[in-house]
Amino acid sequence: MLQTRTRQFVASAREGTLSGFTVGLIIIFLILLGVPVNLTSIALPLFLLVALIFGVRLARRLREHGIGHLLGNALALGLAAALLVFLFMALINRWQERNIKVNDYFYSVSPQTMTVLSGVPASELFANPARDPLTGAYPEGKPLRTNPMRLTFDSETGLELVDINLVIGGFYGFLIVLILAGLLGVLLVWGFSVARLGDTWKRTRAYLATSPQAHSGLLLLPPVFFALLWLTVGHGTYRAATGTYSTINPIINLGGSAQEVQLLIGFAIILFGLVAVRAARPTDVGLSYRARLALCLGIIAVMIGLGLWRIIGSRTYFLATSKALGGSETISIVLTLAVGALLAVQNIVGLRTPGRFETQLAGTGAILAVLLMPLYLNQGQNDVMTIVGINVMLGLGLNIVVGYAGLLDLGYVAFFALGAYSYAFLSSNQMALGADGKPTGLKFAGNDEMVIKLAGWVPTTMIVTLVVAYLGIRIWRRRPPAVRRPWERQRPLVAYSGRPGGSMTALITVTAILLSALVASLFEGTGLYDRLFSKASPFLVGIIIGTIMSLLSGIALGIPVLRLRGDYLAIVTLGFGEIIRLLFTNLRDYTGGPQGVLEIPRPLPAGATGGVGYLSMVYLVLIGVGVIAFFSLRLKGSRTGRAWSAMKSDEAIAQSVGIHLVQSKLTAFAIGAAFAGIGGVLFAARQRNIYPNDFRLDVSIEVLSLVIIGGMGSVPGVIMGAIALIGVPEVLRQLETYRIMVFGALLVAMVILRPEGLLPAPVVQLRERARSLAQSHYRREGGEV
Amino acid sequence: MTDRSHARETQPVLQATGVTKRFGGLVAVGDLDLTIMPNQIASVIGPNGAGKTTFFNCISGFYTPEEGEMRFLGHPIQGLRPDQVTARGIARTYQNIHLFKGMTVLENVMVGVHPSLRSTPLGALLRLPLNNIEEDATLTHAYELLDFMGLADVSDVLATNLPYGSQRRLEIARALASDPHLLLLDEPAAGMNPQETEETMHFIRRLRDERDLTVLLIEHDMNVVMNISDQVTVLDYGRKISEGTPEYVQRDPLVIEAYLGTAADEVDVNLLAT
Ligand SMILES: Nc1ncnc2c1ncn2[C@@H]1O[C@H](COP(=O)(O)OP(=O)(O)OP(=O)(O)O)[C@@H](O)[C@H]1O
Ligand SMILES: [Mg+2]
Repeated sequence: MLQTRTRQFVASAREGTLSGFTVGLIIIFLILLGVPVNLTSIALPLFLLVALIFGVRLARRLREHGIGHLLGNALALGLAAALLVFLFMALINRWQERNIKVNDYFYSVSPQTMTVLSGVPASELFANPARDPLTGAYPEGKPLRTNPMRLTFDSETGLELVDINLVIGGFYGFLIVLILAGLLGVLLVWGFSVARLGDTWKRTRAYLATSPQAHSGLLLLPPVFFALLWLTVGHGTYRAATGTYSTINPIINLGGSAQEVQLLIGFAIILFGLVAVRAARPTDVGLSYRARLALCLGIIAVMIGLGLWRIIGSRTYFLATSKALGGSETISIVLTLAVGALLAVQNIVGLRTPGRFETQLAGTGAILAVLLMPLYLNQGQNDVMTIVGINVMLGLGLNIVVGYAGLLDLGYVAFFALGAYSYAFLSSNQMALGADGKPTGLKFAGNDEMVIKLAGWVPTTMIVTLVVAYLGIRIWRRRPPAVRRPWERQRPLVAYSGRPGGSMTALITVTAILLSALVASLFEGTGLYDRLFSKASPFLVGIIIGTIMSLLSGIALGIPVLRLRGDYLAIVTLGFGEIIRLLFTNLRDYTGGPQGVLEIPRPLPAGATGGVGYLSMVYLVLIGVGVIAFFSLRLKGSRTGRAWSAMKSDEAIAQSVGIHLVQSKLTAFAIGAAFAGIGGVLFAARQRNIYPNDFRLDVSIEVLSLVIIGGMGSVPGVIMGAIALIGVPEVLRQLETYRIMVFGALLVAMVILRPEGLLPAPVVQLRERARSLAQSHYRREGGEV
Repeated sequence: MTDRSHARETQPVLQATGVTKRFGGLVAVGDLDLTIMPNQIASVIGPNGAGKTTFFNCISGFYTPEEGEMRFLGHPIQGLRPDQVTARGIARTYQNIHLFKGMTVLENVMVGVHPSLRSTPLGALLRLPLNNIEEDATLTHAYELLDFMGLADVSDVLATNLPYGSQRRLEIARALASDPHLLLLDEPAAGMNPQETEETMHFIRRLRDERDLTVLLIEHDMNVVMNISDQVTVLDYGRKISEGTPEYVQRDPLVIEAYLGTAADEVDVNLLAT
């Protein structure tokens, strides 16, 4: 009896010990990373979390062993972990005693680490009093170097565990807590199983899924989070009657950590927006028509009300018709308003279509919350959002190339760089001293006469080309060929469309461009041209030219690598990325070389002031992301998207099914590159000075990581990936140094645990739609299919 | 339907003359002549490694034969890319099933419709009329094909999750989606049980009769070949050793020798038919 018990205990203790060593190693790893020094407030909870997780893991075997058994196990876990960490700390302690600089070996371990872990103040730690030079003895009466391994329960020096009054000081105290954490993990699981919380959770999920009210609640999470954000932000109010301006404290005062918490809430708004839109099913029908209408109108009204209050109250001038505004800023405002209006209209329309309501609800709430969010964030926070947004654009572009078409492109940053430099060349105000001592701009820079002309010419060309091409294509209708070749289908899938063929389209386009040049020169002669276009925003021109440049270079890169696949493709594209960077570094006369291009203007007229600067950036990025995400989603379900998907799966078979590989690949490269170009233009506008070093290989790798971690081929996945890899590290700035390492660890973990990514693309469900289409088709054909 | 068959009746659907494909020293297909008339079911048989699949690969554009000529509805097709061949109206299936993984059953068939469509990415972005019409037509067409193949119920399942027999049928549905004149089937009954084989046979006949198709098939199951073929071609070591009606081929001593490696008179001639 006793013997079996002992054997059982030993067996279980072995498992506990093994887990304990793992926990210990992880904690040592975290110490080496410098977590205790850099993130003092979360270090201890993090260590405890590790112990807790492993405790819970142990407790998975609750069914096989009894609870007593597992508690023994947890004890072993805590002890083993503590022992390992203790040994490590003892080693460091020993070294420090011998005046070995631990820093030389473990970069992030400093005397402070010991202080934080042991609770002994740094001044007492290693500050031995000077020895007597003759005898070599320490002076009497003075305290010697403290052994940081002392057992203290001193609440003064202890490591604080959150804010609650649980303070256990000293290193041993910390170890005791570690053991407790392991035990707690086991107890938690035991408690869960006793209370049958698992069933409750299941029931809750079922309730959330089936109850229309609960489901709508889930869909409304973004506005709810927005309300939370609103509560934490102080509001300015302006009383027109008295002309006074006063600020009101936030309702929830977060003090020093407000900045981070608000950013995290901002991320939550975006994430839950994505989740809500995805959770909405077209078959959802629950609430009555009136309730739905009221809910929709309610959200719109409250959101717009809050926004207006903020805008008018704080006098951001964001929507005000201040004279300082103009150019692209007005355009971004108008676009924002247009989106809001369209949304409202679509909602009302959506109400009429049964079953669309929930999607509409989720969409409205999410989009409005995201659109209003920047008004409630400060400059720094909006800057983070801008960076995340630019990375989302890059991610979405790469997602087309890698996620949709399966072409591994490691030189993706080249297109980003091209976009950025295009805008920089067009707009930079940088002056340099020429050979004759007179100031000249960079060649091609914004103050170059030719560029200014070009800037005016591009919009004209765009407009005239579009008009002429449209008319040309309308008027020139292709007649069906008189003689049908035998393989031409008698019963084409889609009725004959009469569009001109490829070469004719090209001819029409060339004619249109020539015509537009003619129009432009005529305009210029009359002076009308100057009046119309001399004030064209360089940003608009930049974004058009940047996109076109990247698009063309995407095709240019695509042509030589058409035959390459997998690793070879990755290596060649990687080389391409480096070549572009080196070109920008070395063509000093044109690009400014390593000194970069400076003084790139914001997409604003000169006089704009106040919050407009950063707000315009973040809104432009939001609009850009919106457009690109929308394009990505539409492409995915299109003929082109299916071709990419087939090509990704098997190139040879796709070709044999009838897919033109060259066309498909080049389209993917071109569109992906164009998205990166848009990102690049916005990046240049945000940075204001760009250097070749901004476009290193790291950027490509970072973007690839966020696509993989978020979920290849999934638009919400890419957004989530950007938040996880770019946004969250911005919040936890202190750990910046380890970002690349954390990337690596995350990538490996994702590939093992969740290879499809955080928010993978769902399996396309088209059957219902196909069936109803087929039925109506059947009816139309009079029963003959 | 009738006008299309009219136009073609005068000439063969596929006419191969002297097609030769070598891999190094190995002659995989040697000097092969083959003519298939419209609305026929023609079979190519032969022992393993006889060059049947290689011949299919030559037709569908994966390989370019070193010598010889292939005409499809009177026009030469050698040297065309696989996608061009498919666009002209030759679709095929594979000996080892090759479906697009990560795509649903319906999507797989929709990819097959690709060559008949014209819309561009810009059309998809702006949902231009042509794009919308084409998308709806594609969906309808794909669904009807799945319905025809008895796969409509599993439309939204990932193709690779289907059972083996359904995967074979799906591959045929994908091939049919491009609305071909000539369908090349590489061992459609491989790995099927007798009942499934029976269904497949029935189904190939239906394809020919209802969909106005010409079928060229490779098959090892003699039961299938002898039952449904209008014309049988026998290959051995890349060369044609016999051609004719199933009855004729069945009795050809050369064929029997190729298959059994013995002189014809020692073998029961009915062996092949069972
Ligand atoms: N790509 C290739 N490179 C080299 N040799 C090849 C290649 N493809 C096929 N072969 C060879 O050509 C010959 C014919 O092969 P093929 O696959 O056409 O035979 P098959 O008649 O389809 O046989 P099975 O009945 O086994 O499918 C074989 O000897 C094969 O090894
Ligand atoms: Mg074969």
